Amino acid sequence: MSLPPPAPDKTSDAAMSRRSFLRGSAMFGGLTALAASLSPLRELSDFTNTEQFLQKYYKELTPDDMKQVLARIEGEVEKQYGVRPHVRDLKPMDGVEFVYCLNLTRCIGCRKCVHACVNENNQSRNPEIQYIRVLRMPHGSLDIDKAEQNYHPKQVPEPGFFYMPVQCQQCHTPPCVKVCPVHATWQEKDGITVIDYDWCIGCRYCEAACPYWARRFNFTKPEIPKERLNPNMAYLGNRPRKQGVMEKCHFCIQRTRAGRYPACLEVCPVGARKFGNILDPDSEVSYILREKRVFIQLKEEMGTSPRFFYYFDK
Amino acid sequence: MATSPQPGPGDGVARTNLLLGGLTLVFFALAGLLTKNLWGHLAPKQNIPLVDRKFLETTPWRQTYADLVKAKEDLSDYDCYGCHEKNKPPPIRYDANQKIVIPKEHSDIVMGHGSHDRNNNCFNCHNEANLLTLQVRDGRQVGFDNIPQLCGSCHGPTYRDWEAGAHGRISGSWDHTKEGQFTRLSCANCHNPHAPRIPTREPAPPPHPLRVPTPAAESAATP
Repeated sequence: MSLPPPAPDKTSDAAMSRRSFLRGSAMFGGLTALAASLSPLRELSDFTNTEQFLQKYYKELTPDDMKQVLARIEGEVEKQYGVRPHVRDLKPMDGVEFVYCLNLTRCIGCRKCVHACVNENNQSRNPEIQYIRVLRMPHGSLDIDKAEQNYHPKQVPEPGFFYMPVQCQQCHTPPCVKVCPVHATWQEKDGITVIDYDWCIGCRYCEAACPYWARRFNFTKPEIPKERLNPNMAYLGNRPRKQGVMEKCHFCIQRTRAGRYPACLEVCPVGARKFGNILDPDSEVSYILREKRVFIQLKEEMGTSPRFFYYFDK
Repeated sequence: MATSPQPGPGDGVARTNLLLGGLTLVFFALAGLLTKNLWGHLAPKQNIPLVDRKFLETTPWRQTYADLVKAKEDLSDYDCYGCHEKNKPPPIRYDANQKIVIPKEHSDIVMGHGSHDRNNNCFNCHNEANLLTLQVRDGRQVGFDNIPQLCGSCHGPTYRDWEAGAHGRISGSWDHTKEGQFTRLSCANCHNPHAPRIPTREPAPPPHPLRVPTPAAESAATP
């Protein structure tokens, strides 16, 4: 006796197929929608790559690592801007400590330093990032709360006012370095406080800690026109930054560690800006601190001990 | 269903299906909204013009005699004896207020050196015996290419500062032990000897704030 072939269980099979169909379509629809909703992330595709993601901390890079990193940066900049840059890793020199002096009697508030700095250091043009803020204050006071930075008269200097450019003061005891949770910013032995833009996590603690409003944050992707890109770059200096990292004045590291004056100094039409090695007694900054009548450190009472001095002529 | 103390075995499946269906609908709605871009992006960027290249210039605003010689440029302005007669000091004429009358050949000169007309004489600096040189009050003669000597004879502290690098403009290398690596500008690169006060100039544009200021704030910013 042979058993009849088992009849296909039509009802259960039909129920299964409907359920699996529903499940399948729900899953398909869900995944499609998920993919669509994640599509804005595609814009971030060049935000980071594996090589950059796996890059070590600046202080842990061996010379060989650094060579590779500089080559990667050069490649990235060329791809993005069509200009082959020369990126260097310049180390502080022995027996050199930089100091900046600014003559408040001479400054006429023309803001040429602001724009020379932007041009030298490849800051974003839109939105604008500027390291130098020129404050206008009435004669006879030094009240920063009453300072105006958006002045735009036809001609400068205006009678009754003086001008005070403020930028990173390169403090001896920098509060911004103290608060950084990842040690992405530190003070080098020539006095310049630098930032490893590939190590910065963008928490902006340093911006809050700085009493001089000297640090700037890249809220959006920086926008630099190709024809204004400065190809002479340094790793800790003016190489193009990415969205979400801090930046600030670094005394034009790509120039000063190669022996040249900062860009803001060379453009100053009245010679109000003075820069040099304080450890050299014959430098102009040593002369100024020794001979000039008055000099102030901005917000001296904060105990930050800036390497940026303001002085007067008469 | 929530009130029933013991849910049947089919309830769990029905609830899962409901949940999945609901989620699918939510995702579809989200996808639709995102592709249609219904809630828009960030506010459009404002149009910030690039700064004029004239504000990036590092060249001094005046050229001295030494610069003209170096650049092999036209020196006819310094050829005094093209018009003046040799060995005959040019006369100086004064008006009723004892101010120098500028001859029409030199109409571009503004006598603005020193307040209260205390420097109201051409031959305080120019040499009447030889117009091709300048003279210091102690009788020394200096050439047009060596003005700091002349200016320093009156402006001693400023000359001292200039020599130390604390007055005036320097470019090149901050390391002055390397000879020839830096350029120190001369007095007349910035100061017009006849009217040394530095003229006012147009400032570069102020920063463009992320938020466009209201007209009230704008008028407060302008004096």
